[in-house]
Amino acid sequence: MNLLPRRGVWPVRACLAIALFGVARLASEHANAQQSASVAISVKDHRFQPSQISAPANRPISIKVKNLDAAPMEFESVSLRVEKVIAPGSEGVVNVRALAPGRYEFFDDFHQETRGVLMVE
Amino acid sequence: MDRGDPCESLARLVARLIAATTLTLVATVAVKAQDAGAFHEVETKYIFGNFTVGSSTGIEGEKAFEPETEANFGKGGGGHYAVSQTTLEYEFTPTQYMQIIFGPTVSYYNIHGVPGLDDRNVAAINGFEAEFRSVLIDRNPSPIAVTASLEPEFHSRDETSGAKVVNYGLEAKLEADAELIKNRLFWGFNLLYEPETTRADLGQWQNESTFGISSALAYQIVPNVVIGADLWYLRHYDGAAFNSFTGDAVYLGPTFYWKIAPKVLMSAAWETQIAGHEPGVSSNLDLTDFSRQRARLLLEFEF
Repeated sequence: MNLLPRRGVWPVRACLAIALFGVARLASEHANAQQSASVAISVKDHRFQPSQISAPANRPISIKVKNLDAAPMEFESVSLRVEKVIAPGSEGVVNVRALAPGRYEFFDDFHQETRGVLMVE
Repeated sequence: MDRGDPCESLARLVARLIAATTLTLVATVAVKAQDAGAFHEVETKYIFGNFTVGSSTGIEGEKAFEPETEANFGKGGGGHYAVSQTTLEYEFTPTQYMQIIFGPTVSYYNIHGVPGLDDRNVAAINGFEAEFRSVLIDRNPSPIAVTASLEPEFHSRDETSGAKVVNYGLEAKLEADAELIKNRLFWGFNLLYEPETTRADLGQWQNESTFGISSALAYQIVPNVVIGADLWYLRHYDGAAFNSFTGDAVYLGPTFYWKIAPKVLMSAAWETQIAGHEPGVSSNLDLTDFSRQRARLLLEFEF
């Protein structure tokens, strides 16, 4: 069996399939965006307030982050797979995909000791 | 080249496995003795040294420059063999499910007195690679996270000999990992299928394929520093669909990962072929299809 009948065509199709799979998952998330849950959190004196927030499972989540400090912060999370730089005295919204129940850590990438937890239930 | 007595080689293999296991146990104890609160989540993509790749696909919106070098040392029959390929990668993560990487490759060949290979001392820009990675299974609630990766490649020089060729390949991988101890101990597993087609001087297209399977352990021994061991089994065939077996090899070696700063990391691995087989050759290594040693070094600069 020759898997390379037309050189250069099937690898392109395979890569497109991977890309389409990722885009399809993203589109599915956006289709459910109107059902997203909102959670608010602020940062003051390089501490999240509150340090633990909660959100419902299996629904996209919008996290409104207010930076009350005089320095910029970057809301970031490895498990949520999001990051956003928020200027001093302003607010940013971080959109997270629907999550399974669990504990998800987040932090300020500019001040690594500033840490919090999202509990999805 | 003296490839040694099979019993001696087996003894060396067992000794290395024992050493790796001992290292694992010592690291586990050391890890448990430390303050659990000092350890945080890590992206698993590079913690296994980058021959075995973890499942993480990065953070949405993240962009990075990543020079990645793979070097191979030692071939059968003596002589001097040192070949490296550096990919100057641009990596970005457009969604929470997908990551795209691409960049040109630069190779360096330093080959002298190796039977079957022309002497060569040359550096050249030799191609272009891209990679598409998509999350198949998230870690939570599944204990194992899985990512599919497809890496189309074009090279203008043979990766082994440095001869001018036209080469197309597609490295397809399943990259899986599990968190055995929260934020500390990780197990990685890769499955590889890489068909290639190459046109050399004679103008004929020749197909080949490689199958691989790996298992790796990685420990975060102190915050932002991960050490581990990586084991690969590789089989090489003529033909794109495993048509004719030409040899196999087992690689084992240590891995190292260091998140140097919030936006900078390095990942490294050095592996030695500890067992192998080439049909018709009485040897316990395959130094025709594979090198004696191989290494990878990756730096990532996020911006």
